[in-house]
This record gives sequence, structure tokens and C-alpha cells, in this order.
Amino acid sequence: MDIWKTAWRNVLRSRRRTFVTVSAMSFALWVMILYSGLVAGYLRDMEQNILDLEIGDLQVHAGDYRDDPSLYARIDDPEALMAPLRARGYRASSRLLAWGLAAGEESSAGVSFRGLDVAADADVSRIHEHVFAGSWLDPGEPHGVVIGRRLARMLGVEPGAEIVVLSQGADGATAADLFEVRGVLQSVGDATDRAGVFMTAGAFRELFVVPDGVHQIVVRRPVDAELEVAATAVAALAPGLDVQTWRDIMPTLASLLDSARGAIVAMFFIVYLAIAVLILNAMLMAVFERIRELGVLKALGVGPAGILGLMLAEAGILTAMAVVIGVALGIPTLWYLAVEGIELTGIAGMSMLGVAMDPVWRAELSLAAVFPPIGALVAIVALAVLYPSLKAAWIDPVRAIYHR
Amino acid sequence: MPPREPIVELTRVSKVYRQGKLEVYALRDLSLEIEAGEFTAVCGPSGSGKTTLLNVIGALDRPTSGTIRIEGQDLGEMGQRERSHLRRDRIGFVFQAYNLMPVLSAYENAEMVLSLQGVEPEVRRKQVMRVLTEVGLEGLEERRPDELSGGQQQRVAIARAIVSQPAVVLADEPTANLDSVTAIHLLDIMEKLYRERGVTFLFSTHDPRVMERARRLIRVVDGQIESDDRREDDRGAP
Repeated sequence: MDIWKTAWRNVLRSRRRTFVTVSAMSFALWVMILYSGLVAGYLRDMEQNILDLEIGDLQVHAGDYRDDPSLYARIDDPEALMAPLRARGYRASSRLLAWGLAAGEESSAGVSFRGLDVAADADVSRIHEHVFAGSWLDPGEPHGVVIGRRLARMLGVEPGAEIVVLSQGADGATAADLFEVRGVLQSVGDATDRAGVFMTAGAFRELFVVPDGVHQIVVRRPVDAELEVAATAVAALAPGLDVQTWRDIMPTLASLLDSARGAIVAMFFIVYLAIAVLILNAMLMAVFERIRELGVLKALGVGPAGILGLMLAEAGILTAMAVVIGVALGIPTLWYLAVEGIELTGIAGMSMLGVAMDPVWRAELSLAAVFPPIGALVAIVALAVLYPSLKAAWIDPVRAIYHR
Repeated sequence: MPPREPIVELTRVSKVYRQGKLEVYALRDLSLEIEAGEFTAVCGPSGSGKTTLLNVIGALDRPTSGTIRIEGQDLGEMGQRERSHLRRDRIGFVFQAYNLMPVLSAYENAEMVLSLQGVEPEVRRKQVMRVLTEVGLEGLEERRPDELSGGQQQRVAIARAIVSQPAVVLADEPTANLDSVTAIHLLDIMEKLYRERGVTFLFSTHDPRVMERARRLIRVVDGQIESDDRREDDRGAP
């Protein structure tokens, strides 16, 4: 007996049931491919936002800076680390950090000052591409600052307006000056939105009287370097300095991303559970409807393995049809969502654990988005058909043949 | 004529079904021998044990007690797998309701047993075409069961039963679902196979036409053989 030919004909025999079963399986697979691609895209963008806009892959601070973020806890010779890093394919840029007050026409707010090497920072961060109004920093205009969106709203300022900043310099004297708001950022994250004031490193050094050293070096690893491997390599080049991965710096978010990826798998099984019930029902129907045929097959000498093979082949054909249809529908839809995305302008500015959501939610079109839903479908179908298949395989031929 | 070895040998076979606390004897201490080339009908009232007798001979069911041998092999000593192989290789089945595979053509139904035996495709084709011709189905090979009449379907079932040249063909009420003309035609075919090819048939039947044609008529009542009549075989020894 040609099992595949017989299985194929059996599948075509109950066309309506096959249509319903394959449609449901295809639909579930399509939904799961989209879900997987959208969540993967969301997590990718979220991670990318963390890396590109806020933290970078790695951060290096002076040994005691993170415990006591003081203006005085600086890396004295940043080039001694950044030069060998660049030679090894890493990208790196230094930053200066301080806290103080900023006042606009209407109000004042506590702010976080960040002094950047504008050219080098563009190599490790895309924050300069996220200017909502006005323009990014210009080293030729040291009295221009770029501020966070909510801070601008709180201070009641727009590009072109002036703000007064007030803090304490490294010399102990009051650090105060008037700056022009060159730009207002899009939403990039809670901390930056509410308190971020970006200025050139030169302006920072002048304001805070910090002639040398930096507070932070942001490092981006080469594409092929694993995060932990990169951290070890950077640490080897930075004796006495504190090297942290973004996962160390934002453990809650890192764990959220990990658990969200795990949730995709859990979601597969929840959605596919309904499909499993459908498959179980369809295959049980197939066994009961054909109980006499199965009995005759056994009477003619087809063993349990042959019957099991036949039932599994039928389920395999149904699954293959569903996979072809589901993938044929899923990939173009996912492609569309990866290119066009879903417009989230209405909720722009929303953030999760301090990381901003992009205004356009783009799916990820990758093998990793497509294959797990297929694998989960195959696994759940295999589980669902096991009982009816075993029931068919061990059927008593006499009872089956004379079944009424 | 030298004595022939029995193909089927039942010794004190009983089959008991339990219905709650009640024990119902489908077969009671029944002994029987069927020799090669016999054309035997088992008759008796409904519930007398005819179908059970065929089922235990066909290794589809196990007796509660007693011994059954097919070509000398004790079925009681066989496992599921060996019994399955015995059914495939040495026993042909014809059922009252034809029981063909609806998704397979007449040719494929007839071919199935040879295919399960692993016979080469070319040999299979020759054997299948020969038996389909013998049962008068040439030209209808590609038709599926739902495209055949009841008589034609039963002829496919006969072709399926004899194609592998089994030791015995067990036919459970093979004419019960057929009209008179078709039933007679089918009996002609089976009788011809018995006469010309020496196929051993064992029927269970209510049908007087089958009983008339049988060379040996066994009457079973309450699971026991009430009578066992042999008629003179006009075809000579096989």
C-alpha cells in the first residue's frame, strides 16, 4: 500500500473537513507569523533604541562613578582606551555628565547635562537623528543646546528660545549661563525626555570648569562580537575602570526583553491549543468514520505501524498544506508590516520602562520570525494526532469490521 | 487417494463472550478440519457462531480455549505481528459488505495485499490483471468502489482475496447483499476458481444457493457442529 497516495486521497475525500481544518491551521499560522514578526520587530526596535539612543552596547566609567556620580569621578585619559578600541573595530565616544537646574520663561526643572563630542558621538548614537524641532548640536555654536521633549514643554520653550542653566562647577563656584535652545528631541526615553540637556563637550567643560577627563565612554561593539565577549575585551583594555554592558545597566529592561521573547513561545502554544483541539477532533472523526476500513486494513495484514503511518501521513499532508498557505500569506503581510509598519503616531511619546516606543511599529521579516511558528504548529499537530493515530493503530479488527 | 493434510485444523475450540455476569458461548468445544481445495459452506441460524468461527480461523479473534492450526501453525503461539503476517500471506477475506478501500481503484484494492507483501511491481501488475480478468473485471480496473455495482465490488473483494494465492479464502456471507442474478454470477466465479485453480473456500452463509453449490456443508447450532455433510466432488482432485 502506498501510504502517501492513500493518505492524500483520504485527505481529499472529506473536502469540507479538510478545508475547515487547513483553513484554521493556516489562519493560526498566519496570525502567529505576524505576531512573532511584530513582537520581534518591537523588541528589536526597543533594544535598538536602548543601544542607539541611550546607552550603547557598553559603557565605561571611572571605578567609583556609578556608586557616586560625581563631577570629579572622571576617566583621566579617555583616548588611552578609545584609540585601541577603535583599532579593534569598536566605536567609542566620550561624554561628560552633570546635574543642575534649567529655567525657561515659565518655569524651571531639574536637568541632566550631557556634554558630547558631536562628531564622535554620531558614530555611537543616532540621537542626533531624533530631533523633533530645530536642529542638532553644532560645535561652531557652543551656546546652543538640544533638550528633551517633555522638558521643553515643562519650561515652555521652543527652538530659538533661551534657557538659563544653573549648577555647581568643578571649582566649587556657581556654574550659570544662558543657552539657546537649538533643538527639541523626539521622545527617546523617560530620562532624556524629562531632563536631557545636550551640549557640546567644549561648552560643558567651560560651564562646569572641567578642563580634562570624561565621565563616560560609550562603546559600540563590532557586529560579529557577542556582548559578553566584547565586555571582556573592553575590560581587558580598561584596567581600573568600570565596564558595564547595557544589560548590566538596565537589568529590568533586559529581563523584560528576554521574557517577552519567551512569551512569544508561550503565545504560540496558547493559540495553537485551539488548533490542537480542532486537529484532534478532525483526526478522531477520520478514525471513527473509517473504523471499518481501518479494521479491514488490519484484517488484510497492515500492522499498527502501517496504520499509524497512514494517520500521521494524513496529518502531515494537512499540516504541509497549512504551512504552504500560512507562509504564502504570512511572508507578504510581514514584508508589508516590515516596510510600512503600523502607524502609532496617536501614542507617540509612550515609553516602556523608560525606553521610548517608535512612532511606527515595524515587524521583523526574518527566518527567526517565520520558522518558530511553523515549528510550534508541527509540534502541536504531532501531539494532537498522537491519540487518534494510536487509537487507529491498535484498533481491534473484529470490532472495527463489524462496527455499526 | 492419499489423505491430505488439513489446511485448517480446529481442536475443541470455544469462544466465550461475557455480558455482565452472563457467559455466552459463541463456539463450544468445536473441532473441525478443512483440507486444501475444499468448497465448504458453514450454515446455521443467526447467532449460531458462523462469523465467530471464521474470525477465529482468520486470526482476527482469539478463541477462549482450544487450538487452531493453519497449515500446521498454531495460532495460539503467535504474537500480533505473526498473526498479522499470516492474515496477509495465507488467508483471503471476503466480507458481506465488500469492505473495499473507497479511495483506491479496483486495481489498487486488488493489488494491496501483494503490495503489503513487498512483491515487485511488475509481478504485482501481472497477477492483479490476471485475477481481475478471472473475476470478469477487465476494463474496470481504474474504477473506484463507488463507481462499481455491488456485484462488481464483491468481485474486486474476491480478486483481493485470491491474488496472493492464500491457503484459504474466508467469505462471510458473500452473497447476502446481492440480488439473485448477481449472487449466482458471483458463485459461478468462486466455483470456477475452486474448480480450475483449486482455491480453498470456506463460507458462512444463510443463502440456500451457496449451500447448494457447496461440496461440504457444515451446520452450526449454538456454537457446535450439528451436521457435516460432504458431497461427491465432480471436479476431481485438485
